[in-house]
Amino acid sequence: MNRHWLLVVLSGAVEVLWVTGLKHSTHIWEWLLTALAIAISFYLIINASKHLPVGTVYAVFTGLGTAGTVLTEMIVFGEPFSWLKTLLILVLLAGVIGLKLITGQEAADTKKGADA
Amino acid sequence: MAWAAVVLAGICEVIGVIAIKGVTQKKGWTAYAMLFASFAGSFALLSYAMNTLAMGTAYAVWTGIGTVGSTLTGMFLFGEPKEWRRLLFISMILGSAVGLKLIS
Repeated sequence: MNRHWLLVVLSGAVEVLWVTGLKHSTHIWEWLLTALAIAISFYLIINASKHLPVGTVYAVFTGLGTAGTVLTEMIVFGEPFSWLKTLLILVLLAGVIGLKLITGQEAADTKKGADA
Repeated sequence: MAWAAVVLAGICEVIGVIAIKGVTQKKGWTAYAMLFASFAGSFALLSYAMNTLAMGTAYAVWTGIGTVGSTLTGMFLFGEPKEWRRLLFISMILGSAVGLKLIS
Protein backbone atom coordinates (compact mmCIF):
# COMPACT_ATOMS: atom_id res chain seq x y z
CA MET A 1 0.00 0.00 0.00
CA ASN A 2 1.43 3.38 -0.89
CA ARG A 3 1.61 6.33 1.49
CA HIS A 4 -1.34 8.26 0.06
CA TRP A 5 -3.74 5.33 0.45
CA LEU A 6 -2.45 4.83 3.97
CA LEU A 7 -3.49 8.44 4.69
CA VAL A 8 -7.02 7.78 3.38
CA VAL A 9 -7.41 4.60 5.45
CA LEU A 10 -6.07 6.44 8.53
CA SER A 11 -8.51 9.31 7.94
CA GLY A 12 -11.38 6.79 7.92
CA ALA A 13 -10.13 5.33 11.22
CA VAL A 14 -9.87 8.79 12.80
CA GLU A 15 -13.37 9.56 11.48
CA VAL A 16 -14.67 6.59 13.50
CA LEU A 17 -13.15 8.21 16.61
CA TRP A 18 -14.90 11.54 16.11
CA VAL A 19 -18.24 10.07 15.01
CA THR A 20 -18.12 7.96 18.20
CA GLY A 21 -17.07 11.10 20.08
CA LEU A 22 -20.01 13.12 18.74
CA LYS A 23 -22.39 10.40 19.87
CA HIS A 24 -20.91 9.43 23.24
CA SER A 25 -18.97 12.46 24.57
CA THR A 26 -20.00 13.75 27.98
CA HIS A 27 -16.98 15.56 29.43
CA ILE A 28 -15.32 18.70 28.09
CA TRP A 29 -12.05 16.83 27.40
CA GLU A 30 -13.95 14.22 25.39
CA TRP A 31 -15.41 17.02 23.27
CA LEU A 32 -11.93 18.50 22.83
CA LEU A 33 -10.55 15.13 21.71
CA THR A 34 -13.49 14.85 19.28
CA ALA A 35 -12.67 18.28 17.81
CA LEU A 36 -9.01 17.30 17.54
CA ALA A 37 -9.97 14.07 15.72
CA ILE A 38 -12.09 16.07 13.24
CA ALA A 39 -9.12 18.34 12.51
CA ILE A 40 -6.76 15.36 12.09
CA SER A 41 -9.10 13.49 9.72
CA PHE A 42 -9.43 16.57 7.50
CA TYR A 43 -5.66 17.12 7.57
CA LEU A 44 -5.23 13.53 6.36
CA ILE A 45 -7.77 13.73 3.52
CA ILE A 46 -6.36 17.07 2.34
CA ASN A 47 -2.91 15.51 2.09
CA ALA A 48 -4.21 12.38 0.37
CA SER A 49 -6.15 14.55 -2.13
CA LYS A 50 -2.90 16.14 -3.27
CA HIS A 51 -2.04 12.86 -4.99
CA LEU A 52 -5.29 10.92 -5.44
CA PRO A 53 -8.61 11.97 -7.10
CA VAL A 54 -10.64 13.92 -4.52
CA GLY A 55 -13.86 12.06 -5.49
CA THR A 56 -12.18 8.73 -4.75
CA VAL A 57 -10.66 9.98 -1.49
CA TYR A 58 -13.97 11.31 -0.24
CA ALA A 59 -15.93 8.15 -1.12
CA VAL A 60 -13.36 5.96 0.67
CA PHE A 61 -13.17 8.33 3.65
CA THR A 62 -16.95 8.37 4.26
CA GLY A 63 -17.30 4.66 3.38
CA LEU A 64 -14.62 3.46 5.78
CA GLY A 65 -15.94 5.84 8.43
CA THR A 66 -19.42 4.32 8.10
CA ALA A 67 -18.17 0.72 8.13
CA GLY A 68 -15.90 1.42 11.10
CA THR A 69 -18.65 3.17 13.05
CA VAL A 70 -21.08 0.27 12.51
CA LEU A 71 -18.38 -2.23 13.59
CA THR A 72 -17.54 -0.13 16.66
CA GLU A 73 -21.20 0.01 17.66
CA MET A 74 -21.40 -3.80 17.36
CA ILE A 75 -18.09 -4.63 19.05
CA VAL A 76 -17.70 -1.87 21.67
CA PHE A 77 -21.20 -0.57 22.38
CA GLY A 78 -23.13 -3.85 22.28
CA GLU A 79 -25.29 -3.34 19.17
CA PRO A 80 -26.58 -6.79 18.10
CA PHE A 81 -24.52 -8.65 15.46
CA SER A 82 -26.13 -8.61 12.03
CA TRP A 83 -25.29 -10.68 8.94
CA LEU A 84 -26.77 -8.02 6.67
CA LYS A 85 -24.52 -5.32 8.16
CA THR A 86 -21.50 -7.64 7.89
CA LEU A 87 -22.31 -8.36 4.23
CA LEU A 88 -22.67 -4.64 3.45
CA ILE A 89 -19.33 -3.92 5.14
CA LEU A 90 -17.67 -6.62 3.00
CA VAL A 91 -19.16 -5.15 -0.22
CA LEU A 92 -17.97 -1.72 0.91
CA LEU A 93 -14.44 -2.99 1.56
CA ALA A 94 -14.42 -4.74 -1.84
CA GLY A 95 -15.27 -1.36 -3.39
CA VAL A 96 -12.41 0.32 -1.51
CA ILE A 97 -9.91 -2.38 -2.53
CA GLY A 98 -11.12 -2.21 -6.14
CA LEU A 99 -10.65 1.56 -6.19
CA LYS A 100 -7.19 1.18 -4.68
CA LEU A 101 -6.19 -1.34 -7.37
CA ILE A 102 -7.42 0.62 -10.38
CA THR A 103 -6.23 3.99 -9.05
CA GLY A 104 -2.64 2.73 -8.96
CA GLN A 105 -3.09 1.39 -12.49
CA GLU A 106 -4.54 4.67 -13.78
CA ALA A 107 -1.57 6.57 -12.36
CA ALA A 108 0.83 4.09 -13.97
CA ASP A 109 -1.03 4.37 -17.30
CA THR A 110 -0.90 8.16 -17.14
CA LYS A 111 2.80 8.03 -16.38
CA LYS A 112 3.42 5.61 -19.24
CA GLY A 113 1.42 7.94 -21.49
CA ALA A 114 3.48 10.91 -20.35
CA ASP A 115 6.75 9.05 -20.90
CA ALA A 116 5.77 7.85 -24.39
CA MET B 1 -38.31 21.87 5.94
CA ALA B 2 -36.19 19.13 7.52
CA TRP B 3 -35.71 17.49 4.11
CA ALA B 4 -34.67 20.80 2.59
CA ALA B 5 -32.08 21.04 5.39
CA VAL B 6 -30.70 17.56 4.53
CA VAL B 7 -30.41 18.44 0.84
CA LEU B 8 -28.73 21.75 1.69
CA ALA B 9 -26.40 19.89 4.10
CA GLY B 10 -25.44 17.55 1.24
CA ILE B 11 -24.77 20.50 -1.06
CA CYS B 12 -22.59 22.12 1.64
CA GLU B 13 -20.65 18.84 1.82
CA VAL B 14 -19.94 18.95 -1.92
CA ILE B 15 -18.81 22.59 -1.59
CA GLY B 16 -16.56 21.35 1.22
CA VAL B 17 -15.01 18.76 -1.10
CA ILE B 18 -14.39 21.50 -3.70
CA ALA B 19 -12.69 23.43 -0.89
CA ILE B 20 -10.48 20.41 -0.08
CA LYS B 21 -9.37 20.43 -3.70
CA GLY B 22 -8.82 24.19 -3.41
CA VAL B 23 -6.63 23.74 -0.34
CA THR B 24 -4.51 21.13 -2.17
CA GLN B 25 -4.02 23.59 -5.02
CA LYS B 26 -2.67 26.14 -2.52
CA LYS B 27 -5.56 28.59 -2.83
CA GLY B 28 -4.59 30.08 0.54
CA TRP B 29 -6.78 31.05 3.48
CA THR B 30 -9.97 31.53 1.40
CA ALA B 31 -10.01 27.79 0.63
CA TYR B 32 -9.55 26.99 4.34
CA ALA B 33 -12.36 29.44 5.25
CA MET B 34 -14.61 27.83 2.62
CA LEU B 35 -13.70 24.35 3.93
CA PHE B 36 -14.50 25.28 7.52
CA ALA B 37 -17.72 27.18 6.72
CA SER B 38 -19.14 24.53 4.40
CA PHE B 39 -18.55 21.56 6.71
CA ALA B 40 -19.70 23.50 9.78
CA GLY B 41 -22.84 24.50 7.85
CA SER B 42 -23.31 20.92 6.64
CA PHE B 43 -23.12 19.42 10.16
CA ALA B 44 -25.36 22.16 11.61
CA LEU B 45 -28.04 21.57 8.94
CA LEU B 46 -27.79 17.79 9.36
CA SER B 47 -28.21 17.92 13.13
CA TYR B 48 -31.12 20.36 12.72
CA ALA B 49 -32.78 17.90 10.30
CA MET B 50 -32.23 15.01 12.74
CA ASN B 51 -34.49 16.74 15.27
CA THR B 52 -37.45 15.68 13.16
CA LEU B 53 -36.18 12.98 10.75
CA ALA B 54 -34.99 9.48 11.65
CA MET B 55 -31.22 9.63 12.18
CA GLY B 56 -30.32 6.73 9.86
CA THR B 57 -32.46 8.06 7.01
CA ALA B 58 -31.09 11.60 7.28
CA TYR B 59 -27.51 10.27 7.42
CA ALA B 60 -28.06 7.97 4.43
CA VAL B 61 -29.40 10.76 2.20
CA TRP B 62 -26.66 13.14 3.36
CA THR B 63 -23.90 10.59 2.58
CA GLY B 64 -25.52 9.82 -0.76
CA ILE B 65 -25.61 13.44 -1.90
CA GLY B 66 -22.06 14.03 -0.63
CA THR B 67 -20.50 10.98 -2.31
CA VAL B 68 -22.35 11.25 -5.63
CA GLY B 69 -21.83 15.02 -5.68
CA SER B 70 -18.12 14.84 -4.97
CA THR B 71 -17.59 12.07 -7.55
CA LEU B 72 -19.42 14.09 -10.24
CA THR B 73 -17.63 17.29 -9.20
CA GLY B 74 -14.29 15.46 -9.41
CA MET B 75 -15.09 14.15 -12.89
CA PHE B 76 -16.57 17.28 -14.44
CA LEU B 77 -14.73 20.06 -12.61
CA PHE B 78 -11.32 18.51 -11.97
CA GLY B 79 -11.08 16.01 -14.85
CA GLU B 80 -10.87 12.89 -12.67
CA PRO B 81 -11.21 9.49 -14.42
CA LYS B 82 -14.68 8.61 -15.79
CA GLU B 83 -13.75 4.95 -16.16
CA TRP B 84 -16.62 2.49 -15.54
CA ARG B 85 -14.70 0.39 -12.99
CA ARG B 86 -14.10 3.49 -10.88
CA LEU B 87 -17.83 4.32 -10.98
CA LEU B 88 -18.70 0.70 -10.14
CA PHE B 89 -16.43 0.63 -7.08
CA ILE B 90 -17.64 4.02 -5.86
CA SER B 91 -21.23 2.78 -6.34
CA MET B 92 -20.43 -0.29 -4.22
CA ILE B 93 -19.12 1.93 -1.42
CA LEU B 94 -22.07 4.30 -1.78
CA GLY B 95 -24.70 1.54 -1.86
CA SER B 96 -23.25 -0.22 1.20
CA ALA B 97 -22.83 3.02 3.18
CA VAL B 98 -26.41 4.10 2.45
CA GLY B 99 -27.67 0.58 3.31
CA LEU B 100 -25.73 0.52 6.59
CA LYS B 101 -27.10 3.88 7.62
CA LEU B 102 -30.67 2.94 6.70
CA ILE B 103 -30.63 -0.25 8.80
CA SER B 104 -28.55 1.09 11.73
